[in-house]
Amino acid sequence: MNEQITRLPAVVIAVVAAGLLSVTLVADVPAAEARINGLSGATTFNFTAKADHLSTGEGSVLLFWGIANGNGRAQYTAPTLILNQGDSVTIALTNELPVATSLVFPGQTHVSASGGTAGLLTREAAANGGTVTYTFLADHPGTYLYHSGTNPEIQVDMGLVGAIIVRPTGFDPLNPTAYGPPDTAYDNEVLYLMTEMDPRLHALVESQGVAALESTDYLSNPEPNYWFLNGRNAPDTMAGDGVAYLPVQPYSCMPMMHPGDKLLMRNIGGGKDLHPFHTHGNHFRLFAKDGRLLRTSDAAPISDLATYEYTHKAIPGETFDFIFEWTGEQLGWDIYGTGPGFHHTCTPDASGFDLVTKEYCPDHGKPIPVQLPPDFEVAIGSHWGGSPYLGHTAQMPPGAAGLNPMGGFTYMWHSHQERDMVNNDVFPGGMMTMLMVVAPGTHIH
Amino acid sequence: MNRMLRTAALMLVPALALLPSASASASVFVQCPGDTDGDAIIDHPDPDHPHAKCMHLAAGDGYAWMADGSELYVFGFHDVTGVPPEHVMMAGMLAGQVPAPTITLDEGDELYLTVTNVGMVVRSDLNDPHTVHFHGFPNAASVFDGVPDASLAVNMMSSYTYYYHVVVPGTFMYHCHVEATEHMQMGMLGNLYVRPRQNRLPDGTDLNGFTHHTGNKYVFNDGDGSTRYDVEFPIQLGSFDAYFHVMDETFQPPPFAALHDDYALINGRGYPDTVNPNPLPPSATTGRVSQQTSSLITVDQGQRLLLRISNLNVTRFYTVRTSGLPLLVVGIDAKPLRGPTGVTEYYTTHSLTTGGGQAIDAIIDTTGVPKGTYFLYTSNLNYLSNSQEDFGGMMTEIIVQ
Ligand SMILES: [Cu+2]
Ligand SMILES: [Cu+2]
Repeated sequence: MNEQITRLPAVVIAVVAAGLLSVTLVADVPAAEARINGLSGATTFNFTAKADHLSTGEGSVLLFWGIANGNGRAQYTAPTLILNQGDSVTIALTNELPVATSLVFPGQTHVSASGGTAGLLTREAAANGGTVTYTFLADHPGTYLYHSGTNPEIQVDMGLVGAIIVRPTGFDPLNPTAYGPPDTAYDNEVLYLMTEMDPRLHALVESQGVAALESTDYLSNPEPNYWFLNGRNAPDTMAGDGVAYLPVQPYSCMPMMHPGDKLLMRNIGGGKDLHPFHTHGNHFRLFAKDGRLLRTSDAAPISDLATYEYTHKAIPGETFDFIFEWTGEQLGWDIYGTGPGFHHTCTPDASGFDLVTKEYCPDHGKPIPVQLPPDFEVAIGSHWGGSPYLGHTAQMPPGAAGLNPMGGFTYMWHSHQERDMVNNDVFPGGMMTMLMVVAPGTHIH
Repeated sequence: MNRMLRTAALMLVPALALLPSASASASVFVQCPGDTDGDAIIDHPDPDHPHAKCMHLAAGDGYAWMADGSELYVFGFHDVTGVPPEHVMMAGMLAGQVPAPTITLDEGDELYLTVTNVGMVVRSDLNDPHTVHFHGFPNAASVFDGVPDASLAVNMMSSYTYYYHVVVPGTFMYHCHVEATEHMQMGMLGNLYVRPRQNRLPDGTDLNGFTHHTGNKYVFNDGDGSTRYDVEFPIQLGSFDAYFHVMDETFQPPPFAALHDDYALINGRGYPDTVNPNPLPPSATTGRVSQQTSSLITVDQGQRLLLRISNLNVTRFYTVRTSGLPLLVVGIDAKPLRGPTGVTEYYTTHSLTTGGGQAIDAIIDTTGVPKGTYFLYTSNLNYLSNSQEDFGGMMTEIIVQ
């Protein structure tokens, strides 16, 4: 308990920013538009591999090797490529690292490399200024990764890994699907690229150079002590995209949704360890792995071999996609509250849900069955809105962090290998973020 | 050094007798429909809540035996259902159970689960709150989800009642979610499962060609009897890092970065303690019995044996396998292995791999299986050990008789 660190300013900024965005961007962002940040609308990319320093969740600094779009600063994780099915993609890579490097694209077809020098897995860009060009065909929709193909046992830990999303043919941003078939339709989506870093390796490369690793067992006996989602450790995972204090870690990882929404999760095992990935709040429907639907045949209209899980075994190098929904169905009490001040109606559709609020009408008007302890008998969570009711906030005692001004229901989404939920020796952190379910009508950033 | 610190810690234990139980009872507050005296036993069933089920857990600390004869300091839950409120603090202190008391529910139940924080007696410096996270509960509300960041966590000497309308059958689990890496490594981990409505169908009901009979038990509402079983055993896989527990016991910061489990456990015990059919002996430190759950599995030849496997370790994946007994996997994570259109995906295997937070329902049909002793053991073979003792660990016996 004593060691708990909360970086309130960072998260407060994110939440406040989210609130502002919800106001200012509503006009030009359709509610259903995909919200994964990345490079979209292009098929030709000029990348530079270079070194920089990233910030860990508890405030340490690590040397990393990353990819810059153009000749900006390197970023971790590497730029997320958002492509369209059928794109012929060209990536020109310039290498400013002190070692040769390269990129590989597992799951893509017609991959070829030109220029550079011959390497083991692919052609490489020589150290200190070498270049190489890759082309591939993005002929299947889905979720993929790309990473260094040169000493990946070192270079991926150093930071050379990123995500690729391929939109299906006929993709409609107003009615998006992950793969085309109707059971892959979604309202909101989130990327969840899981990686680790062994801080000893980064410190040694910084102080003595990569050759010094030869006299260690860091590769055969790794001790990762930082666990990342989209290149950030908790609590930074919950800060907004592109926040100024994380200049080389631009990607947020904070899913948001309304009751009844379909939230698409694109999960990538980008590191070297397995992680049991757990969603608080509900089961999910896992319908694709490695960019392929789970179905009995390509002719099956939907992913009929999908499974329902509450924790998934995320495997290094594997990607998986699932859809998560939450309504509060059959909780046995009215999630929008009862009594004075909580008036609302519920008009059930055929399945019992109100069309607008998505409330499960058989529970409408039922009071919460227990009373909560007085404030002085509980520790109040930073993401507690002050009320058990959705979309409702209440006065909280001084000192409560109040990171949930919308009165959302907040659920931890994390590696259930809780060892991964620390930043080095500091809890909480690591591979953890929060899903926020916000009341209908609340805009989602 | 560790031993000296530990002795110092234990000298605090007698101090618990000085805690004023009268003032403590003032904030022990059980909420249970039909309970008139606050002990979580329903005295007069409330007609508005005919399926109410109440349970009262004390959250605190204690000690657990490892199979090599050492004791580890733990955090844990103790079942104080039926204990009058004025006695709850004394009954719960230093009595944390490993694993936490098993919660068995029927689909349709309303569970009123009261947690009273009785404090960590040995760690008198810690004012940690506690929660219950009903892991996997579908359509959970954050107020009853037990994540301290997202809700409320109950302080020492106070009670919090969780409410769950239980509508999905299957194998779940529960644990404290406060400082999750620490409180879970320290042992606040319990079995929890829900039996389906299909068990209560009228005798003779036809299930797509399968005839239900009164007394039949199923894992799920499978509609065809395919998940029927005769006997069930919850199998909680876990593991402890002795160094972490000693650091916690001796007032040191939790060594998160050094976490490396060295006692691999089934239901909180290493082999051969797993096959002791009785509770393990009282703690040498506190005199309290903390390990109630045997993992000795006995089954009559011809019976169908259900293993409700859950994993709540916090550091790694474990594979468990059987010696000679095929496992029919019918469910994962409290869901039948069936696709959205009903395609059955059951499969037969001899090994099951899970990480923390995963559950598997596997049935062993002992029809035609020769009588004898079989083993359920980890194939991460280095964990067939109890720390430095090169024997034991994550293993138990299945006796077909
Ligand atoms: Cu706890
Ligand atoms: Cu859990």
